[in-house]
Amino acid sequence: MTGKVSRRTFGAGVISIGIAGPALLGRAAVAQETPKRGGTLVATWGGGEPQACYVPAGGGSSPTFSSSKLLERLGNRLMDGRFVGELAEGWKPAADFKSYTVKLRRGVKFHDGKDMTVDDVIYSIDEIWKKYAAASAMTDYAGVTAPDAETVVVAFSKPVPEFFFASLLCGPVNYIVPKHVYAGSDPVTNPANNAPIGTGPWKFKEWVRGSHFEYVRNDAYWRKDQPYMDRLIIRYVRDPAGRAAAMEAGDIHLGVFNPVAPPDIKRLTATGKFVATNKGYEEAVWSTTLECNVRNPIFAKKEVRQAMFFAVDRNLIAKTVYYGYARPGTGPIYSPNVEFFSKDTFSTAFDPKKAAALLDAAGYPKKADGKRFTVNLLSAGWFTENGKVGAIVKQGLEDIGVGVNLTVPDRPTSIKRIYTDYDFDLAISNQANPSEPVPTTTQYFTSDGIKKGVPFRNANGFHTDAVDALVEQIKVETDPAKRKALVATFQKAISVEAPLLPLLELESITVASNKVRNHSNDPNYLAASWYDIWLAS
Amino acid sequence: MAGQLNRRTAAFRLLRRRLMQAVPLILGVVIINFCLIQLAPGSFLELMTAENQVSDPETIARLRTTYGLDDPVWLQLVKYIWALARLDFGFSYRQNIPVIQAIWVHLPATLLLMLSSIVLALSVGVAAGVVASVKVRTAWDTMVSVAAMFFFAAPSFWLGIMLIVLFAVKLGWLPVGGMVTIGGASDSGGGGGVLDILHHLVLPTLALGLFYAATYTRVMRSSMLEVAQLDFVRTARAKGLSRNRVTVSHVLRNALLPVVTILGVQMGTVLAGSVVIESVFSWPGIGSLLFDSVSSRNYPVVLGIMVLGSLVVIAANIAVDLVYMWLDPRIEIR
Repeated sequence: MTGKVSRRTFGAGVISIGIAGPALLGRAAVAQETPKRGGTLVATWGGGEPQACYVPAGGGSSPTFSSSKLLERLGNRLMDGRFVGELAEGWKPAADFKSYTVKLRRGVKFHDGKDMTVDDVIYSIDEIWKKYAAASAMTDYAGVTAPDAETVVVAFSKPVPEFFFASLLCGPVNYIVPKHVYAGSDPVTNPANNAPIGTGPWKFKEWVRGSHFEYVRNDAYWRKDQPYMDRLIIRYVRDPAGRAAAMEAGDIHLGVFNPVAPPDIKRLTATGKFVATNKGYEEAVWSTTLECNVRNPIFAKKEVRQAMFFAVDRNLIAKTVYYGYARPGTGPIYSPNVEFFSKDTFSTAFDPKKAAALLDAAGYPKKADGKRFTVNLLSAGWFTENGKVGAIVKQGLEDIGVGVNLTVPDRPTSIKRIYTDYDFDLAISNQANPSEPVPTTTQYFTSDGIKKGVPFRNANGFHTDAVDALVEQIKVETDPAKRKALVATFQKAISVEAPLLPLLELESITVASNKVRNHSNDPNYLAASWYDIWLAS
Repeated sequence: MAGQLNRRTAAFRLLRRRLMQAVPLILGVVIINFCLIQLAPGSFLELMTAENQVSDPETIARLRTTYGLDDPVWLQLVKYIWALARLDFGFSYRQNIPVIQAIWVHLPATLLLMLSSIVLALSVGVAAGVVASVKVRTAWDTMVSVAAMFFFAAPSFWLGIMLIVLFAVKLGWLPVGGMVTIGGASDSGGGGGVLDILHHLVLPTLALGLFYAATYTRVMRSSMLEVAQLDFVRTARAKGLSRNRVTVSHVLRNALLPVVTILGVQMGTVLAGSVVIESVFSWPGIGSLLFDSVSSRNYPVVLGIMVLGSLVVIAANIAVDLVYMWLDPRIEIR
């Protein structure tokens, strides 16, 4: 694939697929352009309509996409890795790192004309973040106070690293919501969730269910003279082929998070009217994982878990299932994570002979029928690719004498079987991880991540005192270099223990009309506010 | 005059009987669907707590009580039927709105698509069937039969995609999907006028309606040929009536009866077919709502759609029965 480069080049220039050269030239020209004002941008994404425009607990990518244009966070991470203030002007830690002083931006108004105040920030942190949006990250939270009208102090019971705190402020759905709208109600069922009032560059206009959201320019936005455009429309098209046709017909300008099937990416970019890029997903790297349920005595043995991983040809999966838009993972921290990624992990390259030898050594030789044992493999049906990955994993395991019963249940059944009933031996699932490993990544391997019924936590049942203690150290280590070393140790330890194999790191793709300017310029672009987007003539 | 009165009385009698039969039918639909849903793994509460990251057992127990899920299944069913009797379809906790409201915003789009498809299917199917029968064993007959075979065999989702590629992407004559113009080149706002909706309706109507048109064509052709052989047609011809008059006034009217019968039977499949077509054309009907509701185990909405769907089918069948009586005065449906 011409022009395709690794996402390890975090913050590098546009990576266009198929037309890298023209795109890069175009980018240089774009830098000289004066933003055009007015117009309507129509966007879509590679998923369905949300259950509500805003879900306080997050609720998945769809409500994050729809709410992030209306509601804003205290901070944001830039493509170059720096953290900057949004609704906060900045923040600094106390000497003991047990509290952070956050200076709020002045002159910010909600869409209903009311000023954003410290009361809104305190309410949001206490009632929304702590209880819903960031509950698992705020276990050491001790409270928030307001020494004056423009400052809040967030306190913790233990030292909190700066990177962790900045990541908390910039969490995708850690929004500042209006207290006067939410106070005294159940935030989960508040009617405002279907027509949010925020501080963002776009104001909610209407939601035509089954069709689209319409947002209009917030004339009182705190970034002067932005947004550039008058209207933003988010359209929901269920069928990827329908999205491709709508883009080709000019009905949709921008599609984020894999809006069309891989063959259509090449077809659309070949017309010269579209560019495709894998930029804008560095803070939400998706992966496909293979999880071993250690409650099963067979998988309680480390050698058996390692054998499963040696038996799977992950390059084959990347090539055939993901059309090359994926690469084998190496550990629990993924390669685009420039802050913490380490190459020093236990290698599980495809080696069926080694897999067979490990099973022999673990006490599972082939029996007379050619099988060592039989496992239940569950491929979570929320992504269609998972079923195909399951078929290749099954083939690989059967080649080394492991019988496989493969099932591909739908989303609710998968969630119930994996995270509530633990009804699987091996599970093919997916996760999206930000750069900060605590708790999103670490909770898959620690005892406090075992929460029955809560998805995308530790379903494999694996935990050791050593790993728990290591993660506790990572949580409180405030020296960046020492913390990075601890995370590297964590990666090595987890890759050796192998309770969950990062089968593949997935490349998410954005497809945009070549008229769209300032897109894919945020490391979590789906959750960005798109305040600076504009359409060239 | 007395005959007309008798026919009107018979029609009212039929209507009353059909409405009374509808009650146990709807009850059956509710009970069967309720039981099927109970058998499906996973529940909306599990999904909701999962999406909201709720793991606290006390909170989950409180939610179970709030949603009435700690009642025995039979009691949940009785409560649902009792609520339904008072036209209370329940509450969609996922969307945070009453079920009837969730369905109501999608239902008109589906009914419009169904209606336009049936109109297209009937008009094209009847006309093509008449042409094929009148011009039997000619090039016209062959052409109509081949076209009918093609549209009968082509899956509607495939046909939909092909129509999009040809008429929307390549020729640019018609919109790719949706029900109204959203965004658009002019920044004057979305569409939504009658013409705009009709413009968007063309392709989904063709994709859904042509299959049924093919069915009606084949039925109409054979029915016309069969009726044309009957004695009363020969008598009409012997009396010196023109060929067109015989065809339209005598053959066509009687040949329509099987088509009307099939129309009644197919109302349910048209509704189901619209679910697929809505997905292909991003038509904001109940298809997308049903898909999302099944995927999220949003049972109150699924049940609500099933009940309303059965009401639509029952209403259509009653209408078909009445048309049947109008077409053939000799018929008194018992």
